[in-house]
Amino acid sequence: MLSFSWLVGGPLIYFAVTLFVVKTISTFVKYSRLPRHLRWDLYPVPHQGPEGSKYQKVDFGQMKPHVSLLDEFKVMGEEMLFIKRIYVNNPRVWAGSFPLHAGLYLGMIWVLVLAVGAVMELNNVPVTASSTSAWATLAYYVTIVAGAAGFISGLFGSLVLLWLRTSDEGLRLMSDPVSYVNLAVMIFLFGTGLVTWLFIDPSFQILRRHMADLLQFSPKTVKEPLIILQMLAACAFLMYLPFSRMMHFIGKYFFYHNIMWDDEMMRRNSPMENDIAAYLQFKMTWAAPHIKKGGSWADQVAEKPKEGDPK
Amino acid sequence: MKKKAHRVHIKDFGAEDAVLSPLESADLASLPGEKNLPNFREMKKEVKEKYDFSLDGFSALNLPLPRTKAEEEAIVKGFLSGLEKLFQKENNWAFLLPTMLSNEYCMQCNTCNEACHIFTESGRKDIYRPNYRPEVLRRIIRRYFSKSGKLLRKWAGADIDLNWRVVYHLAELAYRCSICRRCASVCPMGVDNALISRELRKIFSQEMGIAPENVHKSGTIQHLKTGSSTGMSPPAFKDNIEFIEDLIEEKIGRRITIPVDKKGADILLLHNAGEYMAWPENPAAFAILFEAAGINWTLSSEVMGYEGVNYGVWYDDVQFARIAFAQVQAAKNLGVKKIVIGECGHSTKALITIADRVLVGDMAIPREPCLPLLEQFVTSGAIKFDSSKNNFPVTLHDPCNMVRLMGIISPQRTILKHIVAAGQFREMPNAGTSNYCCGGGSGFAIMNSQNFPEWRNNVSSRMKARQVLEAFKDVLDPSIPKYYCAPCSNCKGSARDALIGHFGFKDKYNIIYGGMVELMVNAMVDVSKPFIVWDDEF
Repeated sequence: MLSFSWLVGGPLIYFAVTLFVVKTISTFVKYSRLPRHLRWDLYPVPHQGPEGSKYQKVDFGQMKPHVSLLDEFKVMGEEMLFIKRIYVNNPRVWAGSFPLHAGLYLGMIWVLVLAVGAVMELNNVPVTASSTSAWATLAYYVTIVAGAAGFISGLFGSLVLLWLRTSDEGLRLMSDPVSYVNLAVMIFLFGTGLVTWLFIDPSFQILRRHMADLLQFSPKTVKEPLIILQMLAACAFLMYLPFSRMMHFIGKYFFYHNIMWDDEMMRRNSPMENDIAAYLQFKMTWAAPHIKKGGSWADQVAEKPKEGDPK
Repeated sequence: MKKKAHRVHIKDFGAEDAVLSPLESADLASLPGEKNLPNFREMKKEVKEKYDFSLDGFSALNLPLPRTKAEEEAIVKGFLSGLEKLFQKENNWAFLLPTMLSNEYCMQCNTCNEACHIFTESGRKDIYRPNYRPEVLRRIIRRYFSKSGKLLRKWAGADIDLNWRVVYHLAELAYRCSICRRCASVCPMGVDNALISRELRKIFSQEMGIAPENVHKSGTIQHLKTGSSTGMSPPAFKDNIEFIEDLIEEKIGRRITIPVDKKGADILLLHNAGEYMAWPENPAAFAILFEAAGINWTLSSEVMGYEGVNYGVWYDDVQFARIAFAQVQAAKNLGVKKIVIGECGHSTKALITIADRVLVGDMAIPREPCLPLLEQFVTSGAIKFDSSKNNFPVTLHDPCNMVRLMGIISPQRTILKHIVAAGQFREMPNAGTSNYCCGGGSGFAIMNSQNFPEWRNNVSSRMKARQVLEAFKDVLDPSIPKYYCAPCSNCKGSARDALIGHFGFKDKYNIIYGGMVELMVNAMVDVSKPFIVWDDEF
């Protein structure tokens, strides 16, 4: 039956998830396809391990570069899970940022376990506190704990950040309206989740059943207005996220792996060398007096410059 | 009573104030023992009527004030044109990804603020926040290049309308960041606000022909024309080498012939040419050490072969590439096996890492920093040192370009361990990759337009002064001579002008500055007279 609540609980969810996935992938692809940039490393580079930078050795170019994935994973883990750089350098903001991110991670676990529970129920394994299956019982409790903790943590973190952004003069100065919109989206997301859990669906049974319907591509109309609001918040979040700077998890990957930690050296006859040789043929259109008009990068390098007229 | 901070809202960045964010000496964070903070020099009326001082009362660029509406419009048009090119792969492939990411993913958490020595030492002036200028730029980009910004204006964070003042303020503000990248190293995201300063400088230089005179006209342009940013021609270089040979004879009692243009040598040593002019003891010490270690090395007298600097790295990719190619070509002409770069941080980074991805084909000859080789002299026993000859307190400056941006941390410490008397070496606070800029980074050390040196010495170098005082806090008594070791030419320039010239550390505390090699030669067993002479050199 075509109704607003059915549209929100069904088609809108499919649309939001699809949009999120497509835009996330396309953003990743967009950055991946940009030209290689010049080296802009920032040390320490963790995959160099305790040995540190190769530039500390004579004839480093002839040595096999030391690569310690374990060291890299350690730093990545600290940064992804605990946002260590903020913890060390800006603990006040960390007090909001960490619970907000923890809320998101717990929320992802919640959705995943909710889906696992839905699949169990579709296979006639009831997900209850006293299920015959220990796995189903585990799923039951993990869903509640992850969901409740995620909503509480996320909402708390968002509110702390909102408080900081409005009370700290420096943060207020640097904040644009979008900063507040982003926090509003998060507060809406976690707030509706928390209220729904508290007052409507404490065991997430209604949502698990709805998830099962969604997985079978036969969503039913949701009757509870608060759950419709929660779904609306989740859809708004998924549709907004990839178009906002909150998509920084992709940016962060490139910042760390392709810029700060990218210490790959130029090798003869390598794909890198071929790419750079091609970029040197790009024609530039910079207009300053010391730049040869219409020349490629290679032409500029060969050009014996005439004196410019810097103002 | 604490003065209330003067807020400069981003939307007001182009305000018609006489000075947008005036810096007063009373604003500065005072140093231990600093009683009277200096009063800034008032610029003459006729100068202020001709040049722009409207950002903070200082001028790094000598920007002439526009006289007509057409001139004002040309400034705005030129800036927008350059800004567009910054995001085109044909014009900016070399830094497109880092620029796009830093533009798009700042979360405005201000974590970078406290990491910036210029922001903290200025008394926390809003305009010096590392994320301030990128935020101004971001809002301009949204306003003029995004649909949401054109439509929603301030609601989409696009609340800056361009005028010539905004452009001039941004131009000057791009030269209130020393591009030390300490901000990027603390950013949880990896956003690089220092890179944005550099990219802004590129718009001004590559599109509008605006750059500091000492960096561009008498910097890279002169470098490419004459062979050195100092204007030193090949004959003048050869004269300098003779002078250095005389100096060596005077210092160690025997003459060394410095190899010049020796074909097929193992190493071409490339110094910052400023060393020849201002600190000839440094190339002299290199020559003494290389000779003692039996290195097959040479200097080049070819144009571009005796000057290691590459100021392009601070402001202009085209000038950067031209210089890097020409330097490598000079090495190739000599048929050397590799280039070793002397004590100059930006030269080391420019030629070894940044140029790495433009030197294709047979241009990719090995290029190495000097510190690991110097470490080898010490650890291999090739040269005998007596650490008791350096029996005075020593602290070490970590040049950003070598340390934070290349990870060269241990060689210099190993050297000091072997050549400085036990208990005399002390790290300064934040040593290593977290170290602070000397204050002269990204061209500041050589920029002398108008009253800019006053800003540099008072603001940019203040944190280094604080670190040095902290490192020597237990031995500040002037009867104890102290050595601030800065293995980088521009950092030494900054020490000369700020620590010694401005803060008076030699007179007050008997602190002198110098490079690493001078300290090494001073500890050589085979050198009987002290190489470092406190009173002679200052």
